[in-house]
Amino acid sequence: MSSAATDATQAPEKAGSSSASEQNKRSPSDFLKAVLGRPVNVRLSSGTDYRGVLACLDGYMNIAMEQTEEYVDGQLTSKYGDCFIRGNNVLYIASQRR
Amino acid sequence: MSNRILPLELIDKAIGSPIWILMRGRTELTGILRGFDDYVNLVLDDAVEYSPDPRDKSVVVRRELRAEILLNGNQVAVMVPGGTGPEDSMAARST
Repeated sequence: MSSAATDATQAPEKAGSSSASEQNKRSPSDFLKAVLGRPVNVRLSSGTDYRGVLACLDGYMNIAMEQTEEYVDGQLTSKYGDCFIRGNNVLYIASQRR
Repeated sequence: MSNRILPLELIDKAIGSPIWILMRGRTELTGILRGFDDYVNLVLDDAVEYSPDPRDKSVVVRRELRAEILLNGNQVAVMVPGGTGPEDSMAARST
């Protein structure tokens, strides 16, 4: 999957040049592995926020969350024990690291 | 052989540096680029979001997310390597 957009003739050159940046690189799939089971803030493109524990997700960014709080315009509006978010609505997933 | 630089090679070179993202709609983000994939989903560290205030759309709200985020590539319109956000743009300087 990761080589789909890479021009085959450029691949050897790219492998050589990217080795330095490869160490501190963090791909989207690395991020998703790291945040599974952790508290996250999911922002939809509509501006609505969902905060809760990330239960699972897939390549479409479809998301299942637990202990979810819904924030519309920054105001807490609902709480859901479990909820599912269809991936096309997702603007970003933020970890609650700090 | 060729000195062409593919668009995503340019973004690959920006890994570890600040980047400015303009989304479809009026949202913009800045942050340190940590990585991306073929769909241009982006991992940003210390992201700052600039989005219109829901109560007054003419006002742009700056929000520090203080976290690592995964940004959906579907919504990305423009990426500016080294860009530090809308405060740095020509529009901001002229006002």
